[in-house]
Amino acid sequence: MSIAQATTIEADRSCDHLPRAFFEDCQQAFESAAEAAGEEERRLALGGYCIRLRFAGRALLENLSRAFAHLAAPPDRTPDLTICLWDGESTGRQPPRPQWREHASIRGEVEGYNTSRFYTTYEHEAGGFTLFDAHRDVANVWVPAARCVPYWVKGSPLRTVLYWWMGLHERQLVHAAAVGNSLGGVLITGKSGSGKSTTALACLSAGMQYAGDDYVIVGLKPPRFTYALYTTAKVCANHLHAFPHLTNLIDNPQRLDTEKALIFLNEGNLAAQLVSGFALRAIVVPRVTGLLHTRLRKASPAAALAALAPTTMFAHPRGGAHDFKRVAELARTVPSYILECGTDLRQIPQAITALLETNGGSPGVEG
Amino acid sequence: MNPRTRFRVNTPTVTHETIDGESVIVNLGTGNYYSLQGTGAQIWALVEQNQSAEAMIACLKHCFPAAAGEIDLCVPRLLGEMLEEQLIVAEPLLGAAPLRPEILPSPGAFETPALQKFTDMQELLLLDPIHEVDEAGWPQKKADVTV
Repeated sequence: MSIAQATTIEADRSCDHLPRAFFEDCQQAFESAAEAAGEEERRLALGGYCIRLRFAGRALLENLSRAFAHLAAPPDRTPDLTICLWDGESTGRQPPRPQWREHASIRGEVEGYNTSRFYTTYEHEAGGFTLFDAHRDVANVWVPAARCVPYWVKGSPLRTVLYWWMGLHERQLVHAAAVGNSLGGVLITGKSGSGKSTTALACLSAGMQYAGDDYVIVGLKPPRFTYALYTTAKVCANHLHAFPHLTNLIDNPQRLDTEKALIFLNEGNLAAQLVSGFALRAIVVPRVTGLLHTRLRKASPAAALAALAPTTMFAHPRGGAHDFKRVAELARTVPSYILECGTDLRQIPQAITALLETNGGSPGVEG
Repeated sequence: MNPRTRFRVNTPTVTHETIDGESVIVNLGTGNYYSLQGTGAQIWALVEQNQSAEAMIACLKHCFPAAAGEIDLCVPRLLGEMLEEQLIVAEPLLGAAPLRPEILPSPGAFETPALQKFTDMQELLLLDPIHEVDEAGWPQKKADVTV
C-alpha cells in the first residue's frame, strides 16, 4: 500500500465494520487487563486539551508517561481524549487475533482498517498497535511487553495517536524544536541531523525557554501558538561534549554506541525553563556551516515549507496532503529565517534572542 | 513534444503549493519533493491550467521575447523531467484550454528553469512492506521471518 493509497480514506460507513469490530474487541481486552492488573491514570495538559492516560497495570507507566511529567493536568479536569495503554506480558491478557491477512505499510497503516472514523496502525518496532476511534475520542495502544518499547519511544511516546487527534482539533503536530522567551518563540525545523537539537539545547543552556527538541504542537488558528509536548532531548553522542551539564540526565548512558543520548530535562536544574508553550514568532531553519560565527538571514516561505512539511507528513501514519496544506498556511503567515549555525554555540541563542526582540520576530537581518 | 498533448498535475499522488513565486511539490508515492523558482514556478502555474507545451512556450515568449531561443529548449526539457518524476501527466488536447491572464508571468528577467529534487524522505517509504503474518496473525518484518 503506497502512501497515496493509505491516505485515501474510505468514507463509506460500511467500511467501518472490520476496524470497528477489532477496536471493540481490543477495548474489551483492555478492560479485562485493567481489571486483572489494576489501573493507573494520568491526566496531561497538551495543546490546550486534557489527555487522559489509562494504564492497565504499571508496566508501561514509566516508559510512556515520563516524557510528559512537566505537563500534568489536574485529576478532576474533564478529558478530551482517552488513551488506553496495556501490554500482554504483565497483564496476562492478549488482544484478539487480527483478521487482516494483507500487510501494513512501512508507516504501519493497516490496509482496510483505516476509515474516516477508525484509525489502525501496526507499530513495527514495538510489534504492537495503535487504534483510534475519532467519534468517541478513545485510543487503544498495545505492545506485547514493556521491554518491546524502543528507547526513542520513551522520549516521544504516543506520537501517532497525538498526531491524529490534534490534527482533528485545530492543532498540527510538527517535526520541530521550539525555544523562546517572554516575547514568544520560534520553531526550529529541518530533517534529522540538521541541527535542531543542538540549536535548541544551546538556547536552553543559555537560559532560554524550551518547549521541545523534536516534536511540538502548533495551533492552526491565529494567533499562532506553539505548545510543548515532550520534556526530552535526543543528542548524538559525538555532540554531548558541547553540553557537559546535561550528562547526568542521560537515561541510556550505557548504549550510546547504538542510540542517541536520551535526556529527561525536567529531572535537572533546567526544569524551570521548560514551558507549556509560547506565541509563535518565526520559523527557523538551521544550517550547520562549520564557520565560527552564527548569522540569520531571511528565508522564503517555500524554504520553510520544504524544511518542515515533508519531515512532518512522512513521519506519521496517515500523514499526507492535509499536513502539507496546513504547514503551507503556517509558512505563509509566520516569517521564516535560515540560521547559519557557527561553531561558537553561544552565538546561537544570541541570534534567536535578537530575532525575538525585533518586531516580534521580524528583525532587520540581512536578506 | 506532441503539440496535441497537454499536461496536468498528477493528483492525488502529487500535492503542491506556490508561495511568493516559489513552488514546492511533493510526490506522495516516492517521498521525493521538489522546488521550482522564478520561471520554473511560472511553468508549473501553466501546468496547473492544463496547458500544452506549445501554449506554454508561446506564453513565455510573449513575456520574455529576448529569451525565445532558450524557451524553445527549456520548456520541453522541464516538462520531460517532471513527467519522469511523475509530477505531471500528459493527456490528449481536446480543444484549446483557456489561459487565465492572471497567471501570465509577470515582467522580469527570464531564468532558466531548474527542478530541484530532494530525496531524503525516501528511506521512510521505500523499505519493503510487511507481507507475512505470524501464527497469532500479527505482521512480521521480513528480517524477523527469515531468522
